Amino acid sequence: MSAGAQPHLNHRPRQRGLAALAALLVLLFCAGTGLAGPRPVEVSVLMPAPFADATAPLVAAFNRDHRDLQIAVTRGPLDTEALSDLAISSLLLGDTPYDLLLMDVTWTPKYAAAGWLEPLEPLLGADALAGMAPGAQLGNAFAGHLWRLPLVADMGLIYWRTDLMRVPPRTLQELRDSAAQLEGRGVVPWGYVWQGRQYEGLSCVFLEVLRGFGGHWLRPGEEHEPALDSPEAIAAARWLAGLVRSGITPEAVANVSEADALQIFGAGEAAFMRNWPYAWAELQKPGSAVAGRVGVVSLGDGTQGSWGLSMLKGSAHPQQAAAVMRWFTGEASSRELAERYGYTPVWQSLLNDPQLQQQLPLLPVLRQALASTALRPLTPVYAQLSDVLQRQLSALITGSGSPEAAMAEAQRQSQLILQAAGPVA
Amino acid sequence: MTLLLLLPALALAAAVFLWPLLRYGWLSLQAHSVLTALVPVPNGGANWQRLLADGRFWQDAAQTLRFAGLSVGLELLLGLSLALLLHRPLPRRGLVRAVVLLPWALPTTVMALGWRWILNDPFGPLNGLLRSLGLPAYGFLSEPRSTWLFTVLADVWKTTPFVALLLLAGLQAIPAELEEALRLEGANAWQRLQRLTLPLLAPYMLLAALFRLAQALGVFDLIQVLTGGGPASSTESLALYAYLNAMRFLDFGYAATVMLGMFALVLGLSALVLVGQAMRRRWAAAGLTP
Repeated sequence: MSAGAQPHLNHRPRQRGLAALAALLVLLFCAGTGLAGPRPVEVSVLMPAPFADATAPLVAAFNRDHRDLQIAVTRGPLDTEALSDLAISSLLLGDTPYDLLLMDVTWTPKYAAAGWLEPLEPLLGADALAGMAPGAQLGNAFAGHLWRLPLVADMGLIYWRTDLMRVPPRTLQELRDSAAQLEGRGVVPWGYVWQGRQYEGLSCVFLEVLRGFGGHWLRPGEEHEPALDSPEAIAAARWLAGLVRSGITPEAVANVSEADALQIFGAGEAAFMRNWPYAWAELQKPGSAVAGRVGVVSLGDGTQGSWGLSMLKGSAHPQQAAAVMRWFTGEASSRELAERYGYTPVWQSLLNDPQLQQQLPLLPVLRQALASTALRPLTPVYAQLSDVLQRQLSALITGSGSPEAAMAEAQRQSQLILQAAGPVA
Repeated sequence: MTLLLLLPALALAAAVFLWPLLRYGWLSLQAHSVLTALVPVPNGGANWQRLLADGRFWQDAAQTLRFAGLSVGLELLLGLSLALLLHRPLPRRGLVRAVVLLPWALPTTVMALGWRWILNDPFGPLNGLLRSLGLPAYGFLSEPRSTWLFTVLADVWKTTPFVALLLLAGLQAIPAELEEALRLEGANAWQRLQRLTLPLLAPYMLLAALFRLAQALGVFDLIQVLTGGGPASSTESLALYAYLNAMRFLDFGYAATVMLGMFALVLGLSALVLVGQAMRRRWAAAGLTP
């Protein structure tokens, strides 16, 4: 019997210890909550990894300065569409863990129509975009509401070699002529490289050429009607396909994305390249064969490709999330990101800032480019429209069919998509 | 009692297989897309009508079949050769087997990125080789007529080891005495392979073919990374089309319909393989050679 009593006796001090520990914990908890006040509100933001890395020092500083409001940034995938997949997966589950999402310009209408976004004008006022460059203001509003605040502006630019020509081309015709001439003389293996892989980049390239020829993707003022079979659109398609057929652009362009184009141009294998502003810094890096010999020019109406913050529906603290949004996209953060990483600011004041211009020689070009950009159609079915266009263009530049047939088919399929979409589009 | 013991397995199968299938069936009868603000609205058989008339679905189906047929065929052939080789007593057999298995161990995305680089025009090593032979560079991934062959190449490179592994297991299950007996009776290597090894390996070949067929018909990541479905949509697979509909177009009703169409295809093909096998067995039992 005594053997049975022994463990019981042994347990007693342990139980007492546990009770004391629990009491201490309760006390600490009460004291902690009493001293620290309410827990700080946390606003969580999902961004592609490069943006998350670039904004990390800014966010750390913000979190140091604010005790009651903290920002938690999630590093999403690097690839644009992979980030969208992640965001959509979280949204489909109904209860997304993110308050804010950094979005590509083409997602806005789709996300808004899906009911995933919070309209911003009640939180930020109707003039939230005032002071931004005209080209950066586009693409943030849809169906009468503001859904997105741009963080970084982005647009298609033409990169040229300062050692091969004295002045850059100003029109598509001049671009083609000098590319053909330089390639013909054997100065460079290729005249002009761009994004010809069957993906979104191809639509961006085409839109710029289309605008250069005076055409439009959707009929202006009549947004339910595509205009891809117009003479201008056919001329644009013929121009692009002609580059490949005449050997100015390598046939390999049919699988060339931004990174591939950068590689070809960076190796000194081409006289011209179409790319986004980020390529500038890449071309100045040590490994580049053309560092110091690259100029950048906008031919006008470059495809707009900005990133901006949106608020996801169901955010537990919209007021604070709106404050974070304002801070993230504000002039102070913008300046910091421009100085440190060369991110294109959206604010007119920064684009005109002489001090910033000394650090960013590209700034005047960006300012000029942002005066007028080409916006991809603002509709929830944009991905479908872009998809049918990519299919036709990819077939055209790889050598099957005529520009007329390709654009007639793109027009027919786009019409079907827009008809099915009805008034939502 | 038997039923009771089977119940957990049946419940699991129902939860991970039957339930999603039923849900897909239900979804395929709804308009459920960004245009309905993601609210499902019954639309009769509109999605199925659209599927039947959708040239892209049938084009992708043909392309998927073409891809799966060639790559599984090649994998069986190469996998068998590899298995026969690995079955022999080789020096450092363990090491050789490990090396052969390496491609299978790589994540598909990584391997596809590697192949995209190998096949790069003009900087890839393969084009470097062509150039050193005095040949012009070739657009491995930009030529709509031939690009699909290189998607097959990448797939064969990656999954042949899997087939080889399965067949190696089959080879090791064949008693050595049988081979010995045939050898004593004077059968040469080719006769031994034909009369003994292949018939006994048939169930393993069938298993490998079914596994690989199901996987190859659902090919997605390899294509997505290597070509994105291009050029000129010549490599787009059904899985890629379904993904586009669901994740890019937010059209879940039609995406489910495409998935079910694909499922029917896989089911039909698997049934064909099994029926073919059963018929061959019956012929063999009747003493006929097919």
